[in-house]
Amino acid sequence: MSDPKMKILVVDDFSTMRRIVRNLLKELGFTNVDEAEDGAVALQKLQGGDFEFVVTDWNMPNMDGLTLLQSIRKTPALKHLPVLMITAEAKKENIIAAAQAGASGYIVKPFTAAVLSEKLQKIFEKMGKTTA
Amino acid sequence: MSDFAGMEDLLQDFLIEAGDLLSGVDNKLVDLERAPNDRGLLNEIFRGFHTIKGGAGFLNATELVTLCHLTENLFDKLRTGELDLSSEIMDAILDATGTVRVMFRSLEQGVQPKAADPNLIERLELALQGRLDAGAVQAAQSKPVVEEKPVSSGGIELFTDPAPAAAPTPAPAPAAGPDWIALHHAVSGQPAAPAGSVAAAASSKPAAPAAPASTNPGGAQVPVVAKKTPEEVIKDAVGRRATDRPGAISAPVGRRENERQRDTSIRVDTARLDQVLNLSGEIGLTKNRLNALRSDILSGRNDSETLHALDLAVSQLDLLVSDLQNAVMKTRMQPIGRLFQKYPRIARDLARNMGKDVELVLEGEETEIDKTMIEDLADPIIHLIRNAVDHGIEDPVERGSTGKPLKSIVKLQAQQEGDHIVIIVADDGRGMNPERLRAKALEKGLITDEEANSMDERQSFNLVFLPGFSTADQVSDVSGRGVGMDVVRTNIQKLNGSIEIRSQANKGTSFIISLPLTLAILPVLLVRLGDQPFAVPLSMVREILPIDPEAVKEVGGRATMVIRGEVLPVLPLSGLLGWPLDRTPEYGVLMQAAELSFILAIDSFAGREDAVIKSLDDFRPKGVAGVTTLANGQIVLILDMKELLGAAGEQRGVTRRTLIREAPTPKPDQKTLAA
Repeated sequence: MSDPKMKILVVDDFSTMRRIVRNLLKELGFTNVDEAEDGAVALQKLQGGDFEFVVTDWNMPNMDGLTLLQSIRKTPALKHLPVLMITAEAKKENIIAAAQAGASGYIVKPFTAAVLSEKLQKIFEKMGKTTA
Repeated sequence: MSDFAGMEDLLQDFLIEAGDLLSGVDNKLVDLERAPNDRGLLNEIFRGFHTIKGGAGFLNATELVTLCHLTENLFDKLRTGELDLSSEIMDAILDATGTVRVMFRSLEQGVQPKAADPNLIERLELALQGRLDAGAVQAAQSKPVVEEKPVSSGGIELFTDPAPAAAPTPAPAPAAGPDWIALHHAVSGQPAAPAGSVAAAASSKPAAPAAPASTNPGGAQVPVVAKKTPEEVIKDAVGRRATDRPGAISAPVGRRENERQRDTSIRVDTARLDQVLNLSGEIGLTKNRLNALRSDILSGRNDSETLHALDLAVSQLDLLVSDLQNAVMKTRMQPIGRLFQKYPRIARDLARNMGKDVELVLEGEETEIDKTMIEDLADPIIHLIRNAVDHGIEDPVERGSTGKPLKSIVKLQAQQEGDHIVIIVADDGRGMNPERLRAKALEKGLITDEEANSMDERQSFNLVFLPGFSTADQVSDVSGRGVGMDVVRTNIQKLNGSIEIRSQANKGTSFIISLPLTLAILPVLLVRLGDQPFAVPLSMVREILPIDPEAVKEVGGRATMVIRGEVLPVLPLSGLLGWPLDRTPEYGVLMQAAELSFILAIDSFAGREDAVIKSLDDFRPKGVAGVTTLANGQIVLILDMKELLGAAGEQRGVTRRTLIREAPTPKPDQKTLAA
């Protein structure tokens, strides 16, 4: 099962949105949450800290979520990190692009804690299988 | 009651952040109009709508999501080059941002926004299909709402309908489209009527201002946008503030409460807060160190090592406290750019409504200013900009005939000058005519004939600040609200600031607002008259010099000194304070107050200090800005030089004879005089 102490990084340029995601995570029992305002800042934080999970927006200045995901997958120390993409786009090509870049999950805004929980569970299950 | 039970906090956050974002978008739209192919701008605007949409989704604000979604899609096509930005698309986009703002206002009142005007949605959809041309707009705007598709007619008769809003009775409401809904919604505070009945609402509103049809001589640039009065433009752009005035139909009480909530919160860069935290931690450590040293000393240890350690700890505390003061002050400071952001769009809309081509140029947006001041400046600056666009700038015909470039520049500029922030609103228009101003004031009975004759240019300009003064054309657009330049000046003065006017015929007019940086800490120079210390703001001090009686000359019956070629009046402080002049001042402080330089003659000085101002709110003698306490516990008055000089008026100069006592009691350091 998931560890509630798990250190999670929430990446979004819109602070209200970071707060929303943070609150939803809190509802699910995850309280060890840090924030970053774009991909570039996120990457720096990831390299510096022992994060275990990344929840990122797609559309951001400086470095967008997809590029962040690609950079994570390219970095040996980070490539195992589960990355959940959050976006307002439900377009097929976006979902495919995210999947190809190695996203662990994909959520379309707006969503509820239940949806988030379900996606997280799926990711944890998959992780459990690969590490087992 | 509220549609957002349990989400109020989130809603507030969203509104503040999304509001900033929207102002940014508005601003970029104005830039975009001048650089329609700028990919970076298109991207940023796209992201703005996208982000607002994302947040709105969580608030279940479906209509806001729909509108943002359409606009965002439009920008997606624009940024990929699939569509080109036409003026019709631009208008649709500008209307869309206006509607988004209206929706924010509705959210502010805790009510889910109503659907955007179907016309707007349709125009956006047409634009998305690449079919929004002038003809389609015309059709979309003049057809009944219920129809499905517009007839794409030739689009030749573009200007047959110059001011639909001015039509007297049953105005074809859809022609005015989103503006009526916005207006009705904003003014009445009630949910907008369903689109079908908007016509009734619009035509039955006597307050609906008739747009002056004559303001659009050029016409060509403004084919389809319904005319709005400047007040409407401003209201659309800034929302709550402009409406929340006596005279306007009062808003529901709930909204006021919301506003109060918003105004008391502040967003601070976490780095700045961290600095405060860090410094207070350091001070805690230093306090511990001092405590330990105290017990050492109390128990009899007073060797040089202990005393040295004490000295170190105290100087460290000194440093830390002043750093902390600065850091705390900085948390209240915000870049003025956040205020400036909303103006380019307002200026653009105002100018377009009047058929003028005006670019608002911003300068010094990074200048930081106390947050409370930012809020209180919003309205005065709007008024000044409106004034510049409306009255300062000539209409295109006049501009053309005087050989000026058709496009006029209005500059909005902020900069820090010492402990003051200076904000300038400058236009390159026709300038103010002192002659006409005096005639006007005379006619209105604001001044007497005699006063008019004795007024210089500057005094004449200042007439516009008199309550009740307004030039003829002003009456029409302020719609009798009585909000004029006098309110602007009153508001600035409330902030301890001042406003002055410089104007040159045919070159333009500048309004110069000068404000204190903060109301808390002031570096001062301590000067003495006899034994009595006074503090003067250090920012005004240029240098300190000894007064050599032989260097004091008399010019025009006034004592003056020539400093590096500059002839400066010598004003004894005792004279300004109304004290008897019974000894020759020994030192002069070269000071600069606004455009006036002078030498303040004093007996001696006692160094500089960072004064923590305690204001004398209820009891404030003229010329005294406040008091502060010196290290030795002595209370010192902080002088307000501008006020002192003003109070002394033209009588402030003294003759050389009064200044230099001819039979001084010889002092050892006055050999020159004795010799």
